Amino acid sequence: MKRLPLTRLFALAWRQSLRDARAGELRVLFFALLVAVAASTAIGYFGARLNGAMLMRATEFLGADLVLRGSSQASPDQVETGTALGLDHARVVEFSSVIATDAGIQLSSVKAVDSAYPLRGELKSAAEPYAEERSGGGPKPGEAWAQSQLFAALELKVGDTIEVGEKSLRLTRVLTYEPDSSADFYSLTPRVLMHIDDLAATGIIQPGSRVSYRELWRGDSQALARYRDTLTPRLQPNQRLEDARDGNRQIGNALGRAERYLNLASLAAVLLAGVAVALSAARFASRRFDASALLRCLGLSRHAALGLYAMQLAMLGLLACSIGALLGWLAQYGLFHLLRGMLPATLPGGGVWPALAGIATGMVALAGFALPPLAALGRVPPLRVLRRDMLPVAPSTWFIYGAALLALGLIMWRLSLDLMLTFALLGGGIAAALLLGGLLLLAMRGLRRLLAKASLPWRLGLGQLLRYPLAAAGQALAFGLILLAMSLIALLRGELLDTWQNQLPANAPNHFALNVLPADKDAFAARLAELSPHPAPLFPIIPGRLLTINGEPVRELVSKDTQGDRAVRRDLSLTWAQDLPSDNTLTAGTWWGGLPTGGLPGLSVETQLAESLGLKLGDRLRFNIGGLEREAQVTSLRDVHWDNFQPNFYMIFQPGTLQDLPATYLTSFYLPPGNDKALVGLARQFPAVTLLQVEALLAQLRSILAQVTAAVEFVLLFVLAAGLAVLFAGLQSTLDERIRQGALLRALGAGRPLLLKARRAEFGLLGGCAGVLAALGCELVSALLYRLVFDLPWHPHPWLLLLPVIGALLVGSAGVIGTRRALNASPLTVLREG
Amino acid sequence: MSASILKAQNLSKVVPSAEGALIILHDLSLDLQPGDSMAIVGSSGSGKSTLLGLLAGLDLPSSGEVTLAGNSLNDLDEDQRAQVRADHVGFVFQSFQLLDSLSALENVMLPLELDGLRDARERARDLLDRVGLGQRLTHYPRQLSGGEQQRVAIARAFAAEPDVLFADEPTGNLDSHTGAHISDLLFTLNQENGTTLVLVTHDERLAQRCRRAIRLEGGQLVDRREP
Repeated sequence: MKRLPLTRLFALAWRQSLRDARAGELRVLFFALLVAVAASTAIGYFGARLNGAMLMRATEFLGADLVLRGSSQASPDQVETGTALGLDHARVVEFSSVIATDAGIQLSSVKAVDSAYPLRGELKSAAEPYAEERSGGGPKPGEAWAQSQLFAALELKVGDTIEVGEKSLRLTRVLTYEPDSSADFYSLTPRVLMHIDDLAATGIIQPGSRVSYRELWRGDSQALARYRDTLTPRLQPNQRLEDARDGNRQIGNALGRAERYLNLASLAAVLLAGVAVALSAARFASRRFDASALLRCLGLSRHAALGLYAMQLAMLGLLACSIGALLGWLAQYGLFHLLRGMLPATLPGGGVWPALAGIATGMVALAGFALPPLAALGRVPPLRVLRRDMLPVAPSTWFIYGAALLALGLIMWRLSLDLMLTFALLGGGIAAALLLGGLLLLAMRGLRRLLAKASLPWRLGLGQLLRYPLAAAGQALAFGLILLAMSLIALLRGELLDTWQNQLPANAPNHFALNVLPADKDAFAARLAELSPHPAPLFPIIPGRLLTINGEPVRELVSKDTQGDRAVRRDLSLTWAQDLPSDNTLTAGTWWGGLPTGGLPGLSVETQLAESLGLKLGDRLRFNIGGLEREAQVTSLRDVHWDNFQPNFYMIFQPGTLQDLPATYLTSFYLPPGNDKALVGLARQFPAVTLLQVEALLAQLRSILAQVTAAVEFVLLFVLAAGLAVLFAGLQSTLDERIRQGALLRALGAGRPLLLKARRAEFGLLGGCAGVLAALGCELVSALLYRLVFDLPWHPHPWLLLLPVIGALLVGSAGVIGTRRALNASPLTVLREG
Repeated sequence: MSASILKAQNLSKVVPSAEGALIILHDLSLDLQPGDSMAIVGSSGSGKSTLLGLLAGLDLPSSGEVTLAGNSLNDLDEDQRAQVRADHVGFVFQSFQLLDSLSALENVMLPLELDGLRDARERARDLLDRVGLGQRLTHYPRQLSGGEQQRVAIARAFAAEPDVLFADEPTGNLDSHTGAHISDLLFTLNQENGTTLVLVTHDERLAQRCRRAIRLEGGQLVDRREP
């Protein structure tokens, strides 16, 4: 017996596809796939390119794309590996040194850089303290640039000579901005920048010196990734690699959240695709039951019939997905065009991956959601040609839903690479669907009883829904999922923007004042109150070094190159405070109020440092403070928002325990732009005070957040548009029977107003139910996402109560528009078309 | 006497129902030679279509055996029976069963394309000419009248040059004039091609034109006319 060869089956599938396409049979499925793939590709490209742009900005905070940091010099082969890969290289060596002049000495943080530094961003400097800034350049051999603090402390002026170790350097400019300074933002010693060629002559770097070495790298992402891969296994224990994400907490957090949001948005697009494909593939299959039975009569085997339709779907899918990917690619250009004012002129290209991922997404969604109805086609009994009531043998329900869920899960995981996010969405979605679907079925049973007494339009409209409660529940769930995806993306957008706004309010402090002497404290605070609306309190600062924990020397307790290690190797800024600083939250213990007086003074420690040092409540810490030793007992642990531009501290002592020691004061404040003169005045009035401008850093951070915000807004619009398109496409696929029924009713003499009312009742109720499901589901899924993924506090969203109304309006009008053919065309034509 | 093309022995079909087993067809035997024609008549629910389905291998009997073109259908699985249908069987249905998305020509081409014939288009065109639809090749089923649709279905049935043609109420949906025209066409093609014809019908005149006829009532054979 002969079998149909694959090539002939393929040719047949091709011809059938062309014929079906010509007859308009594939429009709905094609359109659903097109929209879904276009949306997820556009979001993919947009996200990838925007991420690239944001990373490019964020790399400024490192001064490079990638940094190899270590407490000893990188080995020659570690450097050669990078240059061999074609990466640009710069070297930075940092150490502390006392700068001596005739006027006095000042501990400074010296940074020796080569001529290539910085690889990202630019240095800024001024000819005089507080004079106008200029970008670019760097100190040449024999020169040094220093922050205005040093000029003030040592009464220096530009042109003077300072001694760094054994080398004399001439001060040529005032350093006002280093792109990579944020890591040492809270260091209290002024910066001196010198050329690396002078380093050997200083004689400072000796074996055992405490020095930080950084190799800066810049290049294309592939070469960087290769460098990272090659180097990672060969890193010394005292070395680590950092990129923009590791380098800066503010940027890292914002980028991380934005990335997860973009991922979530593309997951929403995939969910929309899934729903659309599921609805239209079910229609594709049910409209082919007769054809499949006939083909089986004509002698096609079950496998061949299945193969024929699978090939048809695959061809359709590839075509729709490719065109969709192309449209998505074009659409993201549109998005970037709209955003052109906000983004850097040159954006990294997105490569081909987002397009391929978009196509793959569409195909997997097609496979997962279309295979179950397709499998039904293979099981249509050929006897159906004689008896039309014969339907395909129902497959196991687990198989149907298992296939779809597996497909959805795979896509989600592939897109987000985040199992937690995938499980939160999928698990939440399934739980919501099961729970709400069950409730809906119950509600429809109740409705059925009520319906007997309802008026004709309601009976006509709802009869259709209630006759097939399972199908109706399925449709309500499908539309509910679409609404859920859309509202979830809208909801998270608001939440993220709020968080970012709060993180950097418009009047976030843009200046720090250091070294305020106790004698000047009150006068300075009073002057500040005149200049700035809400200055932060003045915090006392006393440098102190941690010596022992419970009597054990700390050096022996901490592992090398951890946060704890870095903390015990330098002076910490100790302070005392009556109240818990705003933005700090206690994670363990109690604030001073509940503490007994007498005994050891209380101490509050920042949570992460406490972890790194292995501290717990009740531990006794001994500090060396200006030659005196003081002991304190850990009474609380605090979470600190390091990114709020307020003075923040690792260690806060109970008031009254350090007051006898010499302290200076620190604060931060907001000065509206254009007040440079007031600042100069302040500097003149309090010459000992060091004023640090962080406006540039803030502006940089704000511009990155603005980009992220714009991205989030546009992605939201895109998801909403895709959702609406899918809603209409999905509805189209359920209308056949309704159009026929409408025509029949008109043939029986029903007037158009009656039919319109019936349709409104039916679709309005369907949309309303979908809205209720979406509102409940959205709360459930958002609660999971907030807790597991975004790390945001969850609270109920009353505006979701509008969803049933929105759903009723949307689905209601879409349904009435979709079935207008039944109202307008001749009933005879509609009925004859079957 | 030449070999049988279609033979049924002690065919029964029983389906379970709420009231116990329901006998749809009871102990029926028949034997047809190549080129023969047979009508199956009876009232609605008498088991006519069930018998047709069993003879064509669309369904399996509860007991008894069908041999079609030398193949014992009971011994074959569904895919093997499909192959027997592909090789030997054609169908004409009361509801025409044309594919809506295909034009008249494409509907007729379908079985030829399944067979992989290169001249499918020419042969289909020729067949549609023979049934008088040479001018309606590109029309879709919904653009054709009932009689025209049935003529397309007949052209499709004969396209694969079947040994046996099964027709289920071929004139059932047509007016008497068109019905007469369709039955003329069926018998003419039957004779020209030497095809064996098995048809289920209510139409006594159509039944009269067959060499043989059997009458069913409640699944039982109640009358048999032999030549």
